[in-house]
Amino acid sequence: MIRLEALTVAYRGRPVVRDVDLAIAAGERIALIGPNGAGKSTLLKAITGLVTPAAGTVELAGRQLGALSRLAIARTIAVVPQLAILPFATRVEDVVALGRLPHEDPFRGAGPADRAAVAAAIERVGLGHLLGRDARELSLGERQLVLLALAVAQAAPVLVLDEPTVHLDLRHQVETMELLVDLNERDGTTIVAVLHDLGLAAHFFPRLVLLDRGRVVGDGPPATVLADDRVRDVFGVDPAHVRLPA
Amino acid sequence: MATSGGILAADRIGSGPLEGVRRRPVVLGAAGLGLVAVAIVVGVGAGSVAVPAGDTIGILASRLLGLDLPRTWTPAAETIVMELRLPRVLMALVVGLGLAIAGATFQGLLRNPLADPYVLGTASGAALGAAIAVVIPVRTLVLEFGLLHGLAFVGALAAVTLVYRLSRISGLAPMTSLLLTGYAVGSLLAAGLAMAMYVSGSGLRQIFAYLLGGFEAASWIRVATTTPLILGAAALIALRARVLDGLLLGEEAAAHLGVDVRRERAILLALAALVTAAAVAVSGLIGFVGLVVPHLVRLATGPQARAVLPLAALYGAALMVFADVAARLLGEIPVGVVTAVIGAPFFLVLLRRARTGYEL
Amino acid sequence: MTVALLAAVLVVAACATPGPSQVTIPPGATGSAAPPATGVPSPSPAPAAFPVTLVDDEGTSVEIPTEPARIVSLTPATTEILFAIGAGPRVVATTDFDDYPPEAVDLPDVASFISVDVEKIVGLEADLVIAGGNNFNSPEAIAQLRTLGIPVVVVYAPDVATVLADIELVGRAVGASEAAADVVARMRTVFDQVAAGTQGLARPTVFYELDATAQIYTAADDSFLAEMIELAGGFPITTGSTTSFEISLEALVAADPELILLGDAAYGVTADQVAARPGWGGIRAVVDGAIRPVDDLIITRPGPRLGEGLLALATAIHPDLVVPTTP
Repeated sequence: MIRLEALTVAYRGRPVVRDVDLAIAAGERIALIGPNGAGKSTLLKAITGLVTPAAGTVELAGRQLGALSRLAIARTIAVVPQLAILPFATRVEDVVALGRLPHEDPFRGAGPADRAAVAAAIERVGLGHLLGRDARELSLGERQLVLLALAVAQAAPVLVLDEPTVHLDLRHQVETMELLVDLNERDGTTIVAVLHDLGLAAHFFPRLVLLDRGRVVGDGPPATVLADDRVRDVFGVDPAHVRLPA
Repeated sequence: MATSGGILAADRIGSGPLEGVRRRPVVLGAAGLGLVAVAIVVGVGAGSVAVPAGDTIGILASRLLGLDLPRTWTPAAETIVMELRLPRVLMALVVGLGLAIAGATFQGLLRNPLADPYVLGTASGAALGAAIAVVIPVRTLVLEFGLLHGLAFVGALAAVTLVYRLSRISGLAPMTSLLLTGYAVGSLLAAGLAMAMYVSGSGLRQIFAYLLGGFEAASWIRVATTTPLILGAAALIALRARVLDGLLLGEEAAAHLGVDVRRERAILLALAALVTAAAVAVSGLIGFVGLVVPHLVRLATGPQARAVLPLAALYGAALMVFADVAARLLGEIPVGVVTAVIGAPFFLVLLRRARTGYEL
Repeated sequence: MTVALLAAVLVVAACATPGPSQVTIPPGATGSAAPPATGVPSPSPAPAAFPVTLVDDEGTSVEIPTEPARIVSLTPATTEILFAIGAGPRVVATTDFDDYPPEAVDLPDVASFISVDVEKIVGLEADLVIAGGNNFNSPEAIAQLRTLGIPVVVVYAPDVATVLADIELVGRAVGASEAAADVVARMRTVFDQVAAGTQGLARPTVFYELDATAQIYTAADDSFLAEMIELAGGFPITTGSTTSFEISLEALVAADPELILLGDAAYGVTADQVAARPGWGGIRAVVDGAIRPVDDLIITRPGPRLGEGLLALATAIHPDLVVPTTP
């Protein structure tokens, strides 16, 4: 589904992602982990076409990313947006409905299928109790869930998330992970998530990619990627302090 | 995950708020059309000379519909209705429509609720152009447009182009950069305007009248030349409503929702600037319509541009005609004064009621 | 931003328009020169040849098809001209700042300082509009009136000779050429008398104050007002520019006028106030107490009372001037 070859991304000449090779098959569920500044978010931006690689290639569904229009990319990859400040009062359901923009008829707007997708996404993420409220008045965690619902409504074969759980309480963290597993296993959605919580990553994702200073230094099941010496080397912490599932 | 009230949520979505939201713009649109119709009737019926309603209708029916009616009116009344009031009302409609659409576009594009059609230097560019036209002693008329209108139009477009170009060399985020550059260029042009006014001598009165805005010089030729430009560009903006919707959550989110942000931003800026420049060239600087009307509409329907743009167009058009009628009845005071008097307090109330979540 | 711009504009505009004539008629202003003795509104004995085609002060050729019966005057000066040449009864509307003659004040208003009510002019079925040039009336409104088929004669007098020509121009436009010629002849007589009376007298340097509430405004170089002061036997202190009416206090102090004339006396400015202004104390006129009020309206308005204005100005400059009474 997604194939990176010898990918290097640089900001103002300084490489942030170096020479990364990575292949993600359709239907995979993969977490990108690594310390701050490892290049995880930049890698996501390269996958979604927001940054142009300095070298190497990005392929999406067998085609060069650069050759695809933004609309074509949006129909293939849904990204959970970062928390943004809305300039105008906007109801929760209207925010979620933005996920249908890539699919709507450009002239007539949302059709019955779009409205059904929005309703389904709202129910699946469990936002029914927030309907009608101004999204700007919600808690950070609630807003994060609204944006997750937006991406779900976008109904793209690939779902990309950048730290989807930072503002969530424990229950919602777990529920979000369960939703991702459900989307992956029931709908076949390919999931690519950047996660800081190694515990959640190890528990809910069969494949982890560990990045350090722009390079892939580990790729595989949690048990191998999160071996004690790697955690010590990459994160600079005593592995004893990190409780990972067996 | 559908733990928190899943069934309840499904219930409400099925027929509840979402359905209501979907129907509301239609109702508001019908009301807006009605308001425009009332505005036209009032606009053609009111003025400093009392023309009986029956005569007004008779004149319109005989001239527009070709009905052969007994002439109960004077030739002067016919001239007033057909050559003065009707073009004036149409001009106000078109300019009000244009400013409201341009305001909604700039607000959405810059993600800034305080943006208006004049935010990126169009106002000061047009004003400077007009002032220069008054100062240089050349008097030409092309299609009833003088040098003043020509230079005001060119000035508005040149100012936006300059702002756009300059904003791209700054290291700031594009939206922020556009706004700040707009303010900087606007201030510079305002200084130029002050200088032009200082040396304008007897032309000051004319510059002053232009700055306050008005429709008293409307004519059929001006309506015919301005309308296609404003309506055409406004329609092209309305067709790009999707872009403005995408930008609600920021530029990255818009890109992820399929919007080619750089390209679309340039196109929308150009269209909105064109609408503003045409409106400003023909009617002078009329404030607050482009700022307040889009907010009003958003309060009623939410921020979806597909609903906001056409509704803002209707209500902006109607409001402008009513403001012009008020200006006429109050003895030809400048329309810009009327819109400011209506708009400013209204906007303050709006600010108190609606939380605006803008941060630079 | 717009608001700030407008605010700036208002300030600039407020400063740069030298105090427009106000609606105050000083007592006795009408006293000196005799009003037109005839008072006969009838046109020339030989029926005026309408249609008349004439070229106005902006070079526009204007055709007036029939003798005007419903005339609109858009400046106070042209209103005075129309009444002076006996066309007053045919004037149907004027501006809202007309102040003379009294009959004109009550007529309907169709113009203010910034706008012209075209609709009202059409509604009054006007058949001739006399407007002010050089942006006095909105050029757009003038164009609009012409588009609607109403003849508009635009007058603008940059000098005294043109005022006389304008009176004759308006006379031809309304079919009152003879009455206009009479008015002009009487004005010329007064001009000649003033010229004769001031000949050989010392010409004091004169600062004519238009307004000094914020910036100081006086006659521009080669302006109408400068010419009037010269004709009245004074040497005008001017701004050093033909377009700007503003003079700095430094330039004024350096020019050191022998006489200060208060054209803004109607606004309540007095000699004592002038003497008390900081920086003015050393000016010769202030030291000598040569500060006199004048009636600005008749001095600066390019109308038929300009002869009276000149006489008043000459008397203010040369208080012991003896002018032979009208023959």
